[in-house]
Amino acid sequence: MTSSPRSSQNISAAQIRDDYERRVDEAARQAREEEEQAQDEDYQEEVAEPEPEPESPEQEARKRKREQAIEKLKNSKEFSRRKKNRRLGDENDDELADEMLKEKNQPVPGQLAHCEICGKRFTVTAYSKTGPLGGLLCPDCSKKHTGKDKKDEPKKRGMGINRRQNQSKILDGVVQLGARSLMEMCIKKIAENIDDVEGFGDLPPPVMRRLSQILSRNRAITPVILDLFLKPYARHLDIFDCAKLETKDFHKILATMQSLTRLDLRFVTQMKDDVFEYMIDREMKIQELHLDAPSLVTSACWQKVFASLGPHLKSLKLWNLEAGFDDETFEAVSKNCANLQRLKLKHLGHIGDQTMEAISTLKHLEHLSLHLSQELSPEPLLQIIAQLGSQLGSLSLEEFESADDRLVQHIHDHCRELFKLRISHNALITDKAMAGLFRGWSNPALRFVDFSSLRDVDMDNHAGPEEPVGLASNGFVALMAHSGRDITTLNVSSCRHITHAALEEVFAPDKQYPHLISLDVSLNERIDDFITHSIFRCCPALKKLVVFGCFKIRDIKIPRGVAVIGTVGAKLTSDGVAQQELVLS
Amino acid sequence: MDSSKDSTFVSLVSCDGFEYILPYETACVSGTIRRMLDPTSNFAESRSGRCVLEEIDGVVLEQVCKYLVYNYRAKNMTNVPDMDVPAELCLELVMAADYLDV
Repeated sequence: MTSSPRSSQNISAAQIRDDYERRVDEAARQAREEEEQAQDEDYQEEVAEPEPEPESPEQEARKRKREQAIEKLKNSKEFSRRKKNRRLGDENDDELADEMLKEKNQPVPGQLAHCEICGKRFTVTAYSKTGPLGGLLCPDCSKKHTGKDKKDEPKKRGMGINRRQNQSKILDGVVQLGARSLMEMCIKKIAENIDDVEGFGDLPPPVMRRLSQILSRNRAITPVILDLFLKPYARHLDIFDCAKLETKDFHKILATMQSLTRLDLRFVTQMKDDVFEYMIDREMKIQELHLDAPSLVTSACWQKVFASLGPHLKSLKLWNLEAGFDDETFEAVSKNCANLQRLKLKHLGHIGDQTMEAISTLKHLEHLSLHLSQELSPEPLLQIIAQLGSQLGSLSLEEFESADDRLVQHIHDHCRELFKLRISHNALITDKAMAGLFRGWSNPALRFVDFSSLRDVDMDNHAGPEEPVGLASNGFVALMAHSGRDITTLNVSSCRHITHAALEEVFAPDKQYPHLISLDVSLNERIDDFITHSIFRCCPALKKLVVFGCFKIRDIKIPRGVAVIGTVGAKLTSDGVAQQELVLS
Repeated sequence: MDSSKDSTFVSLVSCDGFEYILPYETACVSGTIRRMLDPTSNFAESRSGRCVLEEIDGVVLEQVCKYLVYNYRAKNMTNVPDMDVPAELCLELVMAADYLDV
């Protein structure tokens, strides 16, 4: 119908022949052109030799360019500098210019070049060295070549660290022999690089705690860093600086860590009622609640919290609370949390005698620490000691200015299991009572003792009354006779009525305090070189001796591994090497 | 291991087969290794002088060995500068340090 087999007959034979001839012609011409081009290139390569006959305009242009470049080089600062260095005359200018031009035309990094010495082909890098003749060297030859003119290596730092760091460590009371543990070094390093850490994995809880301490000290705990600490199965969480965390972060803590038994958060200013309400809704069984400054939480909410935690609560520590926590709130604690074993209340401004009375009803209390600045009557405290004294393991009472000899007498009569005792900042307790406490006391030796600032305060009578007030000679001798064999930490700073004779007696050549590690005898003007050396002799385990305001220390030899803090204008010798003073006069 | 050698050198083997040979006293900086090698403990390690540490790989063990030598050298010195620990290995090193008690 339309396309018939005959249609092929429309193609003319003439057209086919023409096409063929055209194609052959074209191919031939192309081949010819290529050949010519190749010849041209060969020719050009030949004429590129050092002394070319400038024939083509292209060649001339190239030469002109080169001359311009040389002229430019000759005017450059680099040129005059090199010339000056080599002290060349003007006749050598061209030579130098040539050399510099050659250097300039050297292959750039990434290109291939042939080594000037061994002729090997290599890839040029930024580190390729220039050989003696101005060419480049391969890596192997570079190494050999640079061996000669290598600069002196920077001075290697010896095994001593700088003085400032050292002093700062001594002020922290750390004079360590030998290296730090690998664990401690790595934890420090992790803390330094905390922003690069994606997750802690299965770090053991003590490591997590230590990391939290370091990071908190650096104030580095942000909501992002907090995430690293949130592990669903962990039972404890200690964050020592929550200042950068917000309400939603506290929610996140409680939502993620369901099996939490210890919640230890400091500076939690942004914690509000709804965080606790969430905790109550989830019925979390927190056993240890340690919070610093949750001052936005209302009294009503606290009461609900204690009602909810009830008998689970074993340890309660609260710091820095004002209006939100009052006597009524504490009543909720004493009513609901009968199993409380550990109680610490510091700087709670709105609690008073009523709370003190309530504390004495906590039947299982073993550790009590109170630091309340407000005026409190001494009787409730006596009641606490009378009720709970027999089971108390540690007792810390700071700034109870109204407490008197009766308190010490009660401790003597009731306490049987104390290992830590702190009574500080008081000017009523007499030395006689202190001595009486330790004489014939059926309590085993104390390990931690802090009687700092137990002294008479009277600006007009420096020596104090006839009958000594505070921890004075008799009390100190009695204390060391009772507890000397086990004591590890002793703070008698500012107990300035301890006489030289008493110190001599306590640190006599035949006395030994084998476990005493930390001793603070600051602000006692009777401490002199002799007493200090006696202390070193009697306390073989001593690591830290604090002597602020002991001006009679003039020239002492410090044993290895002991940090002495607070001397003024004294000559210190350690291991036969004179030491620089920490506090310069 | 022949008896003349076993008190002077011990070898620590990582889980991927790297072996580090250290003087006996140096290796004993680590409490765990010391207990392993204690002759009275009668562990296989104390007889062969070869401790295979299955939990630690070669890269980490190399750092641990460096630390053992560093610690042994710094014994009885004061003001020892910290050893440089590669930051990327720190987390693994903490685990190893916990295990080896160093």
